[in-house]
Amino acid sequence: MKSVLFRLSLLVVLAAVLVSGCAPAAAEPVTVEVTRVVEVEAAPVEVVVTATPAPVEEEIFRVAIVMPSSITDMAFSQSMYEGLLKVQAEMGGPEKMEIAYSEGMFKVPDAAAAIRDYASQGYNLVIAHGSQYGTSLAQIAPDFPETAFAWGTSLDTFQAQGITNVFAYQAEAQEGGYVLGTLAANMSASGVLGVSGPVEAGDAKLFVDGFKTGAMIAKPEAKVNISYTGSFSDVSLMAAAAETHIAAGADMLTGSSQSVVGAIGVAKEKGAKWFGAQWDQTNLAPDTVAASMVYDWTGVIKDMITSVKAGVMGGKAYTLTFKNKGLVIAYNPGVEIPADAKTAAEAAIQGIMDGTIAPLSGPKQ
Amino acid sequence: MGDLFTLPVLLGILYSGIRLATPYLYAAIGETFVQNSGIFNLGVEGIMLMGAYVGFFVGMTTGSLWLGLLGAALVGLLMGLLMAVVSVTFKAEQGISGIGLHLFGMGLSSLLFKKTLGGVESISGFQPIKIPLLGDIPLLGDVLFNHNLLVYVAFLLVPIAAFVLYKTTFGLKVRSVGQNPQAADSLGINVAQIRYTTVCIGGTLAGIAGASLSIALINLFQENMTNGMGFIAVALVYFGSWRPGGVLVGALIFSFVNALQLWIQVKGINLPSDLAVMMPYVLTILALAFAVRRARQPAALSKPFERGEN
Amino acid sequence: MSNLLPTGQPRIEEMQMLGIVKRFPGVLANDHVDFDVKAGEIHALLGENGAGKSTLMRQLYGLYRPDEGKILINGVEHVFRSPQDAINAGIGMIHQHFMLVPSLTVVENVALGLKSSRGPLLDLERVEKRILTLAEQYRLKIDPHAYVWQLAVGEQQRVEILKALYRGAALLILDEPTAVLTPQEVDDLFLTFRQMVTDGHALIFISHKLHEVLDISHRVTVLRDGATVGTRPTAGATKAELAQMMVGRPVILQYDRPAPKLGKSRLKVNDIYVAGDRGSDALRGVSLEVHAGEILGLAGVSGNGQRELAEALAGLRPIRQGSVVLNGRDVTHDSPLAHIDAGQSYIPEERMREGAIKDFSVADNFILEDHGKRPYSRATFFDFKAIAEQTRKAVEAYSVKTPSLDTPLKNLSGGNIQKLILARELSRQPSVLIAAQPTRGVDIGASEYIHQRLLQQRQAGTATLLISEDLDEILALSDRIAVIYEGKIVGVVNANEASVEQLGLMMAGVAETHA
Ligand SMILES: Nc1ncnc2c1ncn2[C@@H]1O[C@H](COP(=O)(O)OP(=O)(O)O)[C@@H](O)[C@H]1O
Ligand SMILES: [Mg+2]
Repeated sequence: MKSVLFRLSLLVVLAAVLVSGCAPAAAEPVTVEVTRVVEVEAAPVEVVVTATPAPVEEEIFRVAIVMPSSITDMAFSQSMYEGLLKVQAEMGGPEKMEIAYSEGMFKVPDAAAAIRDYASQGYNLVIAHGSQYGTSLAQIAPDFPETAFAWGTSLDTFQAQGITNVFAYQAEAQEGGYVLGTLAANMSASGVLGVSGPVEAGDAKLFVDGFKTGAMIAKPEAKVNISYTGSFSDVSLMAAAAETHIAAGADMLTGSSQSVVGAIGVAKEKGAKWFGAQWDQTNLAPDTVAASMVYDWTGVIKDMITSVKAGVMGGKAYTLTFKNKGLVIAYNPGVEIPADAKTAAEAAIQGIMDGTIAPLSGPKQ
Repeated sequence: MGDLFTLPVLLGILYSGIRLATPYLYAAIGETFVQNSGIFNLGVEGIMLMGAYVGFFVGMTTGSLWLGLLGAALVGLLMGLLMAVVSVTFKAEQGISGIGLHLFGMGLSSLLFKKTLGGVESISGFQPIKIPLLGDIPLLGDVLFNHNLLVYVAFLLVPIAAFVLYKTTFGLKVRSVGQNPQAADSLGINVAQIRYTTVCIGGTLAGIAGASLSIALINLFQENMTNGMGFIAVALVYFGSWRPGGVLVGALIFSFVNALQLWIQVKGINLPSDLAVMMPYVLTILALAFAVRRARQPAALSKPFERGEN
Repeated sequence: MSNLLPTGQPRIEEMQMLGIVKRFPGVLANDHVDFDVKAGEIHALLGENGAGKSTLMRQLYGLYRPDEGKILINGVEHVFRSPQDAINAGIGMIHQHFMLVPSLTVVENVALGLKSSRGPLLDLERVEKRILTLAEQYRLKIDPHAYVWQLAVGEQQRVEILKALYRGAALLILDEPTAVLTPQEVDDLFLTFRQMVTDGHALIFISHKLHEVLDISHRVTVLRDGATVGTRPTAGATKAELAQMMVGRPVILQYDRPAPKLGKSRLKVNDIYVAGDRGSDALRGVSLEVHAGEILGLAGVSGNGQRELAEALAGLRPIRQGSVVLNGRDVTHDSPLAHIDAGQSYIPEERMREGAIKDFSVADNFILEDHGKRPYSRATFFDFKAIAEQTRKAVEAYSVKTPSLDTPLKNLSGGNIQKLILARELSRQPSVLIAAQPTRGVDIGASEYIHQRLLQQRQAGTATLLISEDLDEILALSDRIAVIYEGKIVGVVNANEASVEQLGLMMAGVAETHA
């Protein structure tokens, strides 16, 4: 009797694990006839490979993406996913381009397993959308020379390690940060700006540093207070960080990572303005978000697809900049932005594009 | 440094600390009941997530925050009931079941979020209520007595829980069942019934803890938004030596230090941000190591009760 | 005679259990047992450990349901689904292992599970008042506000009795109530029992101590292996007869003890001071000397420093002041291992907590101390063959009843666990043996066996310190008897000159004598 009960309870636990496992769509088992190319080392005999589907189904291009947060994070992951959707639409819908994704892969071993799965399922392009996936990718990519991989944010395609099938991409977040900083400093009445980042590294740090530079150049007397929460997902602490900035006098706030949604709510409640990063966060607080730096990955995605179709499986490093239109400042028409602020921002964009402004140090002499 | 201990900063810490402490209080006070009865529910985090989701979704679709709160409480109750069935009736290993419950709540809330909301949206949550007279005290009034209802209730919950645990027959039964279920059983107390009740109370409060985030403090739902709070809440019960007052102290210390470290950063004090964000956790670990009075631990904690035959 | 008890409850004129059968997986714990008790009577239930006494009574108290048979109260059949049913029918039970919550106060323990006059709110003042009334009526002295963990065993027992009386128990089941008490406490308890039966209570008294059964009961029923051996009026029954009924064979109740062949001093304790659990000194200047070939008995009422002394001598508790010399070596501040290596063996009082690991197998428990040495291990690897062989030898030599050497210890009876610990400690041929309560909770058969082993060891020249709260045991085994009271040795007497009365007075801290 006892063992029956024990098994029952085990079942409940198992069911729980299953439900949770399914939800973030962990490398959904797409039933694809996997034809592994058998490689016989230095064998003189030609191995007859049974019907490689590539030539037959050439018109369908299969992309898979593995990302740390969710496709609705209003930030980093969503920007890439929506970019893929856009490209898919341009290419003629799901018949022409298939998109598979695994989200919520904040644990690197899980992500590595998903990347390997997609590669072995024959996806043409597998995107490892997180800086933390790099080491794993460098181990996986050489095992699948027929597959192209992409890794961001980074500029390292592992060419130094002799790997040829990895693209790299990175957003020059400091450019957008600089412009938003210019805008915020010009709009601020109190002269205090608050920035809350997730961790002091990578994309987030570039953005924060650019923001600070832009603000200080625009208004040397401005104060830019910076805090980090140490987490990409701690919404509650991010909200507290925003509260703290406002209490410290800030009337213009910004921040990055998916956890900023907590901060935006506080800004809304306390009447501060918000500057979004990575994704247009306007619809969360239409009266609060003044402008957002939006990542548009479509150019990068399209170029990677074209390259892969032409047989170039990697080796290129892309950046998103104002110049290549990968970075866009989206103004919220619902928030009134003073004309002089907007002029200053546009001038900053121009300066960055023509190289007269370095986003991490300011105008060049 | 001197810049840090100014009046506005102290008031700011007080204000943010109180808000940060709110969800911990609900969850940890609930878990205090659970653990005092001898059950170790590690699934608080999962229940909080479901409470946060249901509170938000119901609040948004019906337009009634009260219905949202009720929904969160109910879903918490149901998940508590599930935990009780598994741990009390089926006598499963409680740590494992708790982790199962956590994964279940996390997975289901994400799934439902995608199917019903699709993206992050915000809601207008419970508004601050200024308490007459007290709210007019200069400086402190705004910081202490101008919060939303769920914040007040969280703090009221502490004396209420203490009263229930130490001054009622139910509380006496709960404590006896956690310390010596055989003794309680021999006096005709229904051990299973008491444990079902506490685990359901714990679940309900964890559900409300989630809702306090999604419809009162942050006013939106995002996947995995509790970010480990449920586990900290379990640790706070140890921290507080299984007493509501101790849990309050723990929750406040944790939250105040968290608020303080943000101020340290905002004030530009030269401390690496990585160290600053570690402060509350380091403190919690130190406190767990040195301050916990293990002697108070319910002797039957996480041990299923068997009378010797079925 | 009034039909009401002093508590205001109706009496139970007669309770009958008829044809009770209770099976556990693999065990027939009760095999068609008949048992009855009447108001104003003490009916003793006698039997070895595992005979089925507790099981029988647990069915009367609603903790287990009988597989067969029925229970009649005043001629009416009752079915008890839970203890609450039994409590409602006027039955109370004092369990062998106390059913108290240590972290609660006396009042809280009594109030637990009772309906409060204030609805959901506790009504401890009222409960306290009634406790004090009952305590006076039944002469059970107690501080209602003390926490149970602060109470001595005897006091805890009083709480248990008060709990039952408070709930209106007309029939009281006492499951081995004297197992942990001193002679004086037993006397006090018996006074209470006598008073209770005079008042019209019915009492069931479970024990395996023959003289107590003969002393207190009106009738005695003996159980063996789950079945009734017989029921006798106590008047006219003899110890030898009852012992034989219990064990199924004649039992030696008096040991042959050849005169001691005293050797040199093995253990010398010089004026030691040792702190108790609550900080204050539990031992305040204890000096003792034990020679090869003698058993020094340490008598005393529970809680006068015996446990602290045993632990200090085993190296488990720091000695604040004074010294301990073991085989000529100063071991005052040495580790337990150093004591073991110096030739000392230790049979701890809490065998399940300190003496053994209940989830470990018989064999693992046997090598617990010497697992790092030959023949059990060589160069850090276990020699499982040698372990099995030595354990099997010991299990046979000490007649430990176990299904196999791999059986977890917790599945053995108390007596067999104690025999295994004894086997482990004695097979090391110790020169000094500290035996703390070696037969507490152990049945007659096993006790007899353990006693004879201790005497054999004495013949072999071991110096034994026997710490026991069972005066009969001290008297039966010791050559000299030291009495401890409040952390001090009150006196040391030669066993053949000692009387129970004299020792009893010394244990109460009254007299002081030196041998
Ligand atoms: N809950 C139980 N499950 C299985 N076996 C049990 C249980 N309780 C008692 N027993 C077994 O029943 C027998 C009688 O035990 P018990 O009534 O405790 O004996 P006594 O009280 O006379 O020492 C023993 O063999 C014991 O191991
Ligand atoms: Mg028994």
